[in-house]
Amino acid sequence: MKILKIVMLHAFLLIIAMITVIPFVWMLVSSFAPNSDIVKIGGSFFPTMSTFQNYIMIQEKFNFMGMFANSLFIASTVTLIIIYTSAAVGFVFAKFQFRGRALLFSIVLATMMLPWAVTIIPRYEMMVNFGWLNSYKALIIPSIVSGFGIFMFRQAISQISDEILEAARVDGASDGLIFHKIILPMSRNTIASLAIFQFLWSWEDFLWPFLIINDEQKQLISVGLRQFNGQYGTDYGGLFAATSISIIPVIVVYLIFQKQFIAGIASGSSK
Amino acid sequence: MKEVSISKRSLLNFKNITLSLLMIYLALFLVYPIYKAFAGSLHDWNPLIDRYDYVGLANFKAVLTDSLFWSSLSNTFFFVFFSILFRIIIGLGLAILLYSKLTRFKSFFRAVFYMPTITPLVAVSFVWVWLYNPQFGLINQVTGLNINWMYDSTWALPAIIFMTIWKDFGYATVIFLGGLMNLPEDAFEAADIDGATARHKFLKITLPLLKPTTIFVTITSMIAYLQAYIQILIMTEGGPGTSTYVISYLIFDEAFVNYNFGTASAMAVILFLLIGILTLVIFKLSGEKELMR
Repeated sequence: MKILKIVMLHAFLLIIAMITVIPFVWMLVSSFAPNSDIVKIGGSFFPTMSTFQNYIMIQEKFNFMGMFANSLFIASTVTLIIIYTSAAVGFVFAKFQFRGRALLFSIVLATMMLPWAVTIIPRYEMMVNFGWLNSYKALIIPSIVSGFGIFMFRQAISQISDEILEAARVDGASDGLIFHKIILPMSRNTIASLAIFQFLWSWEDFLWPFLIINDEQKQLISVGLRQFNGQYGTDYGGLFAATSISIIPVIVVYLIFQKQFIAGIASGSSK
Repeated sequence: MKEVSISKRSLLNFKNITLSLLMIYLALFLVYPIYKAFAGSLHDWNPLIDRYDYVGLANFKAVLTDSLFWSSLSNTFFFVFFSILFRIIIGLGLAILLYSKLTRFKSFFRAVFYMPTITPLVAVSFVWVWLYNPQFGLINQVTGLNINWMYDSTWALPAIIFMTIWKDFGYATVIFLGGLMNLPEDAFEAADIDGATARHKFLKITLPLLKPTTIFVTITSMIAYLQAYIQILIMTEGGPGTSTYVISYLIFDEAFVNYNFGTASAMAVILFLLIGILTLVIFKLSGEKELMR
């Protein structure tokens, strides 16, 4: 009876795992198939992998790798800055007393509930007035603070014992030095979780680059993917190839940070 | 000289610099835009023809008498409700199965279930448009159905909800698994001594202890799903007809297709209030006060 139960349990989990994975596999397989094979009716479920042509063609027709590089640059820069600012602000909220602390922290928390729809029009108008349209300044500077990141770091840094910090202060360390030499190294799990989420959010952000960037040479991949779809909507092989490429970096970031990320969840820091 | 350097040091410290920069950022990119959105909602505001005229509550009146706004709102509630419901049921169910002592290959399953969560929504939406393709899409091929999912006003929204659940259940699974791992051992030990059955333990101990986690998932999902528009933009552009318009897509459309910034701001203000009210209601109903501890 128990064996049967175990087999059923794993069979069920395996079915869910297949439903989760098959769309990715189908996309990847189709990206190596000629168009005629993808649209063939009554063939097998999966087209046959027989060509690299789709990957070569999308680069010839469309500045795909350029947009890929642009996105890589923007998402990495924004992620690094947000990790740094979130850790610094989180440290101040967790370990310093000052007037208005509770109020300011609740404002930071409230930013997480604020819909993009409220701020996007005024921010867009600001960028027009600053003359930042079509500039990476507009993609980076308005995104350097994250309420989510600050919240995560404050929770995690609160767990670090005050005695460690006091000992460092007695030794004459400044707060800046404590932040860089003690707080940041001890926040590895939080950095990993935030890196995964923030890189994904920056990578998949559509609306902001869609509004700000109109030069194709500077465009990011999420917008590029939709443009490509509009121009070459019937080139299914090319679309599958383009989509596959646009998914790979976030998977890589996840795999790099996965271990610390899971450790962070297990210790309850993101509850 | 010495006094100056001391006062300089005490003012230019890590805390003050960090807080000053934070407050400049908040003022510039948060407080001002919120003010501007509220002010803009009271104006006839179109940047293309450089118009910004005060009209009082006319935008709100226009929005609230627009049948597309109400049908979008009802689509939004349909989308939000079923996405959250299944995200929680599937997430919790799988977390319990993964937590079980009988389960092997836990980290493998967890990583697989989490995969859609960490992939970009724009890309995933394209993949699903093809999966739903009536001719060569995998869904009709596997199920033997003959539905033109994205062009059928009955099926388009449920199909988008199904994709959203597929994308997001893994996040709920991981969060619930974290919640289960943090449950106090002694509650279960006491129950074991009392000879409680597995079902009894689950209903009387596990579920109530997971309440804060469930509320956390409900609120974060609600805030996210009320703002969802990427799926709609990529998969249906609100169609067929207006059958998949949701409130955030309508705002996008009104602002950056029609350039009616005023009415779009009015809708954004309404959405903002809606999120605030619903969050409060969930908090009150659950009687949970300690969530943001």
